[in-house]
Parts: sequence; structure tokens; C-alpha cells
Amino acid sequence: MRAHIFGMCAAAGFFVSGGASAEGDIALGQYLSSECVTCHQLSGKSVGAIPPIVGWPSDQFIAVVDSYRKKERDNEVMQTISARLSDEEISALAAYFGSLKAPDE
Amino acid sequence: MLKKISRRNFMVGTSAAIGALSLGAPAVLGQARQKVVVIGGGPAGATAAKYIARDSQGALDVTLVEPSTQFTTCFHSNLYLGGFKSFDDITHSYAKLPDYGVRVVHQLALIINRDRKNVRLADGAELPYDRLIVAPGIDLKYDSVPGWGREHEQKMPHAWKAGPQTQILKTQLDAVPNGGVIVMVAPPNPYRCPPGPYERVSMMAHALKTSGRGNAKIVIIDPKPKFSKQGLFQEGWENHYPGMVEWLDPAIHDGLQSVDPATNTVVTGFETYRNCALVNVIPAQMAGKIARDAGLANDSGFCPVKADSMQSEIDPNIYVLGDSSIAFAMPKSGFAANSQAKVAAMAVRGELTGSRTFPARFANTCWSLIDTDDTVKVGAHYAVKDGKIAPVDTFISKTGEDADLRKQNQEENLGWYAGITTDIFG
Repeated sequence: MRAHIFGMCAAAGFFVSGGASAEGDIALGQYLSSECVTCHQLSGKSVGAIPPIVGWPSDQFIAVVDSYRKKERDNEVMQTISARLSDEEISALAAYFGSLKAPDE
Repeated sequence: MLKKISRRNFMVGTSAAIGALSLGAPAVLGQARQKVVVIGGGPAGATAAKYIARDSQGALDVTLVEPSTQFTTCFHSNLYLGGFKSFDDITHSYAKLPDYGVRVVHQLALIINRDRKNVRLADGAELPYDRLIVAPGIDLKYDSVPGWGREHEQKMPHAWKAGPQTQILKTQLDAVPNGGVIVMVAPPNPYRCPPGPYERVSMMAHALKTSGRGNAKIVIIDPKPKFSKQGLFQEGWENHYPGMVEWLDPAIHDGLQSVDPATNTVVTGFETYRNCALVNVIPAQMAGKIARDAGLANDSGFCPVKADSMQSEIDPNIYVLGDSSIAFAMPKSGFAANSQAKVAAMAVRGELTGSRTFPARFANTCWSLIDTDDTVKVGAHYAVKDGKIAPVDTFISKTGEDADLRKQNQEENLGWYAGITTDIFG
């Protein structure tokens, strides 16, 4: 990303407001989440074998992604997506998805 | 999740907006917002328009130019052929995009004027842009198959752009008699959806077998010596459709000589197939005309881009996404196009609004249905390495896998379709 500056100002750029999470960088999480939402719906709606991932407690989210990263869980799509995520990035994703409302059951 | 205040600015009617543009009227009140124009409402263009508008929260003026009012996805169009989905299931409207701040203009984009930074539409209106996203998909090379051209696409359909062509192919498939011969002329690389022709053959065989036409035969005349997921498809054909599918590589068929749409004949160096029940010609492909006309393509017929942003190598004000681009190791797929769109959306917002940008990441997965509950998949995660988009982690289904896993793949495939179409259009 040599051409792009890691800008400091972002006020206009984000659709999630409410400030940074103490634990995870929500703006980073929102960008990374764009890979997840190709399958997992932002609304929390679940279709087929794709589970909802919004509104989870942070530690639970981190534990599940970490287990795919370590290949302790089987799914190859999830293993591949999580393989290169750093701890910071997983925390960012947890903060972002955790900030979204789970669907009413 | 949407801010109501921005909608007042966005929800101008399409016709009023075009009228104002035709008169060359400047932005009326306050500070003029910078303009992003997106050409093409497929998985690349619609995703980019939605993400840029949504995430810039009204800071950018985003217009999507797409002639059709509905979009039929190429992905899962084979499931329609196989009887697993209806045509409605794979057809989507653009009606929700205005809620995110996208102005959708249902016009054909005719010409990109790169010097003046505008796009001329079929009705003569000109849309000025600060950044342009070009995502017109593929064009077919109608001169790449001897004897076949645009005037023959009703008789020998390609169905490689989903829509009416897909329905023509289905109608012809439904009319194939038991014992009839289907010939598929497969495309040369590079083309949209590498496993697509072979999933299509699987779905044709499924439709035939499950309707008492198991004596029909499908012959694939392939210009390539190998193809995507070859071992998986060939194992599946052997298991589910024994004797029904014959794949011929160039060393065996000795080259496609010609086709004759009048008599449904296909002539190869090795054999002549007469009175075929169905001939599906999938020709060679290139970037959409508007991209080539604008000089955005190179000698390959596709458009070179920078790996970290999908920005055109030819014009820094333009980004080329999806099947028209040369995305290095990424295949031409709806998943890939949607992934590229998110990287470009971030880059464009970063350039125009100063929003934060992050290192580009791309992903792709292609599921292919071979028969009921037997789905295989291939996928990769990509990053930028040495100026190229390179796979960093990959996977592919294995031959001999157990049925539960293949069934799980199909459940995933259906969930992905719902997810990605919501991500693009919902």
C-alpha cells in the first residue's frame, strides 16, 4: 500500500461511530470484516451452513477464529481466511462484529 | 445503520439528475462533493458503489451506471440449469442501493472521455467523475469459433452472460431427447469462472439423468489440455454419470475445425458430430468494450491494474475491477470481483476523503455442484507480493472425500450465495 497513507483523520469515513474499542481497532475490524461478509451476513441472518457472527462477546469470537487459525477446527475456507490474521486483527474483527446487533430470536 | 440526513441529498430522482447533468448544471449548494462514477452493476461494480457510498456517509457523490434493472448472476446459473434453483432465485434488483446513497442510472455507458474525466451515456448525458470505476465484465470474441457468431447465439447459445441466454440454454436442454448428443465447445484461458463449464456439464448430466434421459451424452471439445478441479470433476462424472460425459483434450480431438449452426454440426480434426441435440459454444473472452475503447486494456484484451488497489496501470483516475481486469493470480469469478471491489472502495475513499487505508487483502472460493449434495470447492487468500496479487494460503477438495463433507460444502455454497448477493445488492 505504498501509494496510500495511513491517514490519521477519519471522521467522515466511518459508518460505525462511537469511538475506538479499548480492545480492538473497530476501523481496522470494519475493513477486515469485508472479507467475512461475503458469506456471513451483517444482519446476522443465517442461511445454509453459514452461521451468524454478529453480537458475539469478544473473547468468544477471538477463541473461535484462533481455533481455525490453529487448524483445530476443520473448515478449510475458515482456516484459509484466518491463517494470516494477527492477534491484533482478530481483536479488531471481534470489536467490530461485537458492536453489531444480533438479530432478535 | 444509515444516516437519514444524507438521504435527502441522494434521493434525487434519476431523471432529474440526468436532466441537470445534461444542462451542465454545477452542484448547487454548499461544497461540491467529489464524484465517483461506477460503470457496470455486477459483483464488482455494485459492490464498489455500495461500499463507497455507505462508508463515505454522504461525503462522496456515487453514481452506478447499469443499463439493466435486474441482474442475473452467472454464479449459480448452472444450478438453475440443473433444476436446483429457479430463475428468480438467481435474479436480483438494484432497488436497495439508493438506501446506501448510490444513485443508480439505468443507461448504457457509451464512451469514457479520460481527458475530460467524464462518461457519456446512451441518452447523450455526460457524467463527470473524480474517480471512475470500470467493471463491465467480459465481452465475447464472436470471431473465435469458426462458423459461429453473434447471429448464431440463439441457435447455439453461449449462456456465458447470465440472463435470456441462460433461459435459452435451459429450454434447449429440456428438449434434448434420451440418446441425444450435446456438444460443449469450452473456452480457452483466460475466461470467466474457470470451473464453470465443467459444473455446467455436471448440471446438464444431472438434469438428463433425473428425467429419464440417461442415454444422452455430453461431449466437451476443450482447447485446454487441463482444467480447473479436473480430478474432482472427472471422479464425480464417473461416480454419478457413468458413460454420459466425454471430455476431449486437444491432443484427442485434434482441434475444433468449425461449427454449423444451420445443421447443429461440430467438426473437429478427429470427428464430426452431426445433428447434435444441443451445442453450447463458449467462445474466447476479453474485457468489456467500454474498457477496451478507453485504452485501458493491453494486448491481452484485459486491463492491467496495480495489485495494492486495482487502480488502472494506464490511468490513475480509473480503477478496473472484476473480469475485465488482470488480477494476477486471482481467477475471474464473482467472489473475486466482490473482493477486489472492497479493496478499491477503500483505496478510492482514502484518496478522496483521507479515510484510513489498510494493506490490500483478497479472497476467492469457488464451489461447484457435481450432483445432489456433492459439492467440491477451491479457494485462496491473497496478498500483495512483489507488486503482484499472490496466493498466500490455498485449499482444494480432495478426491474420495466422504459424502457428509461434500454435503456440508453444498450447504456452505447455498449460504455463501445468500451472503454475497446480500453483500452486493442487499
